[in-house]
Amino acid sequence: MLVLTRKENESIMIGSDIEVKVLDLKDNQVKIGVVAPRSVTVHRREVFLAIQAENAQAAVPHEVDVSNLIPR
Amino acid sequence: MQVTTTRFGVLEVAPESVYTFTQPIIGFQEYRRFVLLAGPSESRVYWLQSTESGELAFLLMNPRDVMPDYTVPLNPHDLSELAASTMEELEVYTLVVVPEDPAKIRTNLKAPIVINRKRHLAKQTVIDRNDYPIQYFLAGGKAGAREPRRDQSHARTNA
Repeated sequence: MLVLTRKENESIMIGSDIEVKVLDLKDNQVKIGVVAPRSVTVHRREVFLAIQAENAQAAVPHEVDVSNLIPR
Repeated sequence: MQVTTTRFGVLEVAPESVYTFTQPIIGFQEYRRFVLLAGPSESRVYWLQSTESGELAFLLMNPRDVMPDYTVPLNPHDLSELAASTMEELEVYTLVVVPEDPAKIRTNLKAPIVINRKRHLAKQTVIDRNDYPIQYFLAGGKAGAREPRRDQSHARTNA
C-alpha cells in the first residue's frame, strides 16, 4: 500500500482526474472530499461490502417458492 | 441466441431483450448481460437471468409493492448513463433474498436495479438515504409476521 502523509486542505491525485482531499481533522475523525468523474462510483467501504454481501445472498442458488413472497 | 439455464432450461433469447449493465451488480463485475423474466402470474416477482452464466439468476420485485413512495434520486449523469432523459423512462426493481427462514425474506432498498427497457441498459445504483435499508424484511406471504400485526391493529380499532 502506498502511504502518504497529508495535512488539512492537502490532497492527492489518483491518475489525472481523481482528487482526494483532507478537508478537516478533529476528534479522531477525518473529513475527506473526493473529486472524480461521475462515471467513478464512490462509496463508504462498509456500505460497498454490505451491498456486495447482500448481492451474493440474492444470487439464488436453490429452488424457491416465489408464489407468496410479496406481502399484499 | 440460446442460453442454457439451471432454472428455466434452454431459453431462446432475442438480442433485443438482453439488458447490458453499465455499472455491474456489485460483486458480479464479470456478468453484464441479463434478461428479465416475469415470475409466475400473481407472484409479482421477476427473474434477472444472466445470459453469460446459466446458473446465475437474481429474484427481483417492485419496491413500491412494499413502499409506495419509494423513489430513486438519479442525477443527470445517472440518467444519461442509461440513455434516459427522465426517471419515467426507467423501471426500478430491488433484489430479493430468500433464506431458509421465511421471517428473513428481505429486499435491498438501498441498491436498486434500474432498467431502461427501450434502450436495453441497466445498472445497480446506490441510494444515499438512511431510511432505505440494505435489508428490508418483507415478513409477508404465508409465513410472515404481517397477519398477526394486522389482526392486532384490527382488534384495537374495535376495542
